[in-house]
Amino acid sequence: MSRVVLRSARRCAVLATAVSLSALALAGCSGSNDSANTSSDKASGGSLKGQAITVYSGQHEQTVSALVKDFQARTGIKANVRSGDEAELANQILTEGPASPADVFFAENPPALTTLENKGLLAKVNSSTLAAVPSTDSSAESDWVGVSAREAAFVYDTGRLKAAQAPAGVKDLAGTAWRGKLGIAPSETDFTPIVTRMIKTEGQAGAKSWLEGLKANSKVYGSNEDLVAAVNRGEVEAGVIDHYYWYRLRDEQGASHMQSALGYFKQGDPGALVDVSGAAVLSHGRHQAAAQAFLAYLTSKPAQQIIATSESYEYPLAAGVKNTKVSRPLTASGPVAQAGDLGDGKDALQLLQSVGLL
Amino acid sequence: MTGQPGLLIEQLEAAHGRSPVLTGLDLTVDDGALACVLGPSGCGKSTLLRIVAGFHHAARGRVTLHGRLLDDGRTRVPAERRRIGYVPQDGALFPHLTVAANIGFGLPRADRRERVGEMLDLVGLEGLADRHPHQLSGGQQQRVALARALAPRPQLLLLDEPFAALDAALRTELRTEVAATLRRAGATAILVTHDVDEALTFADTIAVMRDGRIVQADSPNTLYHRPADAGIARALGEANLLRSKPADRHAITAFGPLPLTTGTEQDGVVMLRPHQLRMTDEPSPHCVRARVTACLFRGHDHRVECAPEEVGPDLPERLVFYTPVPPPPVGSQIHLRAEGPAHPLHTEIASAEAEAVGS
Amino acid sequence: MRTLRTAPGPLPLVAGLVALLVASPLVFVGLQAAQAGSDTAHRLLARPVIGTLLWHTVALTTVVTAGTLVLGFAAAYLVERTDLPGRRAWTVALAMPLAVPEFVHGYSWVSLFPEVQGYWGAVLVMTSSLYPLVFLPVAATLRHTDASAEEVARSLGRGRLATLWRVTLPLTRPALAGGALLVSLYLLGEYGAFAMLRYTTFATAIYNEFQTSFDMASASLLTLALVGLALLLVALDARAARRGRVVREGTTGRGCAPMSLGHWKPVAAGALAAVVGVTLGVPVFALVHWLVRGSSTTLPSASIVTETATTLGYALSSAAVATAAAVPVALYSWRRPTRLARTVERAAYLTRALPGIAVALSVVFFAIRYAQPLYQQPSLLVAGYVVLFFPLALTSVRASLAHVPHGVEDVARSLGVRRIFVLGRVTLPLILPGLGAAFAMVTLTASTELTATLLLRPTGTETLATQFWIYTTGLAYGAAAPYAAVMVALSVPAVLMLTRRTFGTRTTAPREN
Repeated sequence: MSRVVLRSARRCAVLATAVSLSALALAGCSGSNDSANTSSDKASGGSLKGQAITVYSGQHEQTVSALVKDFQARTGIKANVRSGDEAELANQILTEGPASPADVFFAENPPALTTLENKGLLAKVNSSTLAAVPSTDSSAESDWVGVSAREAAFVYDTGRLKAAQAPAGVKDLAGTAWRGKLGIAPSETDFTPIVTRMIKTEGQAGAKSWLEGLKANSKVYGSNEDLVAAVNRGEVEAGVIDHYYWYRLRDEQGASHMQSALGYFKQGDPGALVDVSGAAVLSHGRHQAAAQAFLAYLTSKPAQQIIATSESYEYPLAAGVKNTKVSRPLTASGPVAQAGDLGDGKDALQLLQSVGLL
Repeated sequence: MTGQPGLLIEQLEAAHGRSPVLTGLDLTVDDGALACVLGPSGCGKSTLLRIVAGFHHAARGRVTLHGRLLDDGRTRVPAERRRIGYVPQDGALFPHLTVAANIGFGLPRADRRERVGEMLDLVGLEGLADRHPHQLSGGQQQRVALARALAPRPQLLLLDEPFAALDAALRTELRTEVAATLRRAGATAILVTHDVDEALTFADTIAVMRDGRIVQADSPNTLYHRPADAGIARALGEANLLRSKPADRHAITAFGPLPLTTGTEQDGVVMLRPHQLRMTDEPSPHCVRARVTACLFRGHDHRVECAPEEVGPDLPERLVFYTPVPPPPVGSQIHLRAEGPAHPLHTEIASAEAEAVGS
Repeated sequence: MRTLRTAPGPLPLVAGLVALLVASPLVFVGLQAAQAGSDTAHRLLARPVIGTLLWHTVALTTVVTAGTLVLGFAAAYLVERTDLPGRRAWTVALAMPLAVPEFVHGYSWVSLFPEVQGYWGAVLVMTSSLYPLVFLPVAATLRHTDASAEEVARSLGRGRLATLWRVTLPLTRPALAGGALLVSLYLLGEYGAFAMLRYTTFATAIYNEFQTSFDMASASLLTLALVGLALLLVALDARAARRGRVVREGTTGRGCAPMSLGHWKPVAAGALAAVVGVTLGVPVFALVHWLVRGSSTTLPSASIVTETATTLGYALSSAAVATAAAVPVALYSWRRPTRLARTVERAAYLTRALPGIAVALSVVFFAIRYAQPLYQQPSLLVAGYVVLFFPLALTSVRASLAHVPHGVEDVARSLGVRRIFVLGRVTLPLILPGLGAAFAMVTLTASTELTATLLLRPTGTETLATQFWIYTTGLAYGAAAPYAAVMVALSVPAVLMLTRRTFGTRTTAPREN
């Protein structure tokens, strides 16, 4: 071992220790701010102004920050947002149990909310809030409220498929005509509801043989983001996604680089599905009133307007607010399945596992 | 100060895991003495040293230094508070520190400069203070290790085969030098070794260790000439063992009656060292006729092995002697006589060992 | 001579506590898995897909580990033992893929070469991103090992290849084994890159279980199977390490004359250039490509300076804590190589094979129950990183301790210095290069961690990785690119620090006599 090595290593270590100590001090400061926030709300009898709630959000980050900012300006309630993957956040809430610091859970899909609902971790949503959106878009048990929606769609490579060649129903995709041409992302929470609907309409056995056919026809992707990009660059001819992934990809790549288009399944088809993003108040949250105020705000006209014009390309749910950036109106799908009908998706998952897609 | 008991070890027992290593060991080292623990590899001598140093724990027994209890199997003084210096086999210099920093390691900051200078003088390494260990030769490294151990003026110094890794010439030179250095420093020291030359040249007292205990401790001279049993006799050097009958303070052997080193004798075995056998030109009554089987020139003398021609119960199959005179070639017949006193050995052990005499 | 040492004061206690903390995710996984009924267990584990996943995991781990060993050793040999010019530059360039986070590796390949996917895609991407974990320790070993054994082999009439195979390779066995363990454990737990490459392993199945069914019991059950695989790997490593015990750095280390490559020199240089081009060129090209092409680059990016400071703060703090925590564990088993000490050390490695989400949820589980005031505080995220990356620190500290001459601590104590000061004055200075490597390794890895960061960070805190994730999940790769670029840039100094160990002088001064 040489002196050179020892000397230089010692210098590095001293430097590193100094840096890390200052970093610890820095981290310590920000920590004390947080604890001040969470403990500030003891008496919620009076005005909610000045309170701070914690929102666990699995939703599109930029949209949520715009919403939170507006909410704070309007109500004086601060919302600390913890952005993450909705499934991980749901797992986190389950692990935290009653001690969870979360006041609100804002999810992308019903199954995450329904799971918490079934564990009795959600408080009832105020009826005025529930009234602001169609009742079919919220929990049947009034435990969570629908905030925005998106639609399942068929994305296809415009170089190889014409709009007329799009299938009439999601069921057709299991046919041999599609062999080797499809992409699916079965581990995404958006995919499970289609399977749930399939089980409802075709029965367990029918749904299973459909899934097996689909599996034989498809390449499996890890996420909808990967899937839509793969269709757009011609890796597979078509896939099933929620519509907004295509719009977000268009934003990223520019309209001129889009080699794909969206098609939709016909009314009543299990694939003609509106997926709802919902929000709920955690029953153990320490800021019940402020949390309810946040839910009320999310379904209010100003918030819905923000959603309608954001880069998340979701449909607002409140009456009278329209998303003008998405070419097809939500109502074109006609009546859709109740969000609550989709349940926690357990049957669909077991089916997916049994055919080896998960 | 010599003569006062310094280190006192009584009935010491210790184990490695479940296997016992020391089994009731007694040892006394006087103040100012250079003692040596001599024994084959694996006899437990390093463990003994490590218990005295405080790196290993006694299971039972007592270790005291100047009346201060170091370890009695229940309470023990931590190594760093014993003031006992330690020089391991490879020196274990601190590779990241210079020679001066190594020597000054155990000193309070204030005394460091002066004492380090003294120690460098003592071991003859002036001018090497700023070297790193890897820039030193093996001998220099061991000298630094010695200086480092002596610097805090320990009450006792422990040396664990410190010369084993050196080449022969350097080993001889260094051990003489270290012994002189230690005497100059008035240190009490224990050296552990399996090398009998090292033990004989280094120590005032040699303790022979076997199977986890000290079997005999005495001055080198006494041990060499008056070992308690055949094992000790062989541990100190080559020996010829002969059967003997007692007769009036003499032993009757194949070489005739020989005076005994100690008085009391019964039927048994006596020892003659190789230098006690001489070649004679003429056969005489108390001669033994033998044929030369091997011969080794060693510079200062010849080591000769021969086989007695009249093999009887009183003689071994092989005798060894040293002679300054060139012996006749292998195969020649010679006559041997014995000189000086024969030393009687304990019978039961001696007879078991009589077969392997001189090996 | 092997000797037993004295009972080392509070060390076993401290080492045990650290090991307990680090192994706590195993307890969590066990607790959760126990809640799954036998029906669930049967339904989950008897699926045909389990066999497929097991095969996928084993096939990938085996081939990638073998690939990194071959690539890492070959590169180290070319750089250290031949007359290839530009040794330092090659060392840095070959180590640099460590600075690129896994998800950047994965995405850059997928976006530039869509055909890179599935099994061979995963093999290519993982091998090219993980081989520096083998290259660095092997290069350091070759650099610091006495070359006399190799010279003796040559003098005994062995050719270059035979010498390489029978002498040089065994010499580097401990380094190879350590690197292979890190690589293979990493592969067991990796999720993000495989999801992008459309390759399923046990770990991706576990993530799916967490993500789609919110069923921790089932996910934990699958995780236990992964722990079983990890146990196997750790046991294999222990065997390899035992067989490699004889190797030690020569104190008289001399470099042998470098092997002349002759007219093969351009070929060797070309091969190394190709490795660097593939492993480093692709991600760098992809980053530049996003920065230039992605139209979302124009999105108002949040303050990248804040996120950089936050990321650095957490990475450096957790590196300091993880390194400090690794010292007692490594020291304990170095001083007393008992079965218990070895077990404690091994347990720490198992956590490395757990998927990040399992570790993160475990920290959530224990913190909210037993350390509520710390929950979602900065210290909790640091704790999470320490649990996740402790094995990286332990490997480095353990490797450097192996070169400390036994006996120096005893001698220091016999000179009247108390144990705690012996540590400060002798042991720690001697293993300082290892501490530096441990620190750099953890900094590097923690600054790009995502899964645990999302779960454990204080609400509102964003790191470079979370910000990158937010943009990429919104398909805004252009906006995400600057964050990836900063992550890479931040990792460069750490990688440089890791390469230092191979830069020490090749020879120590010859002994004078």
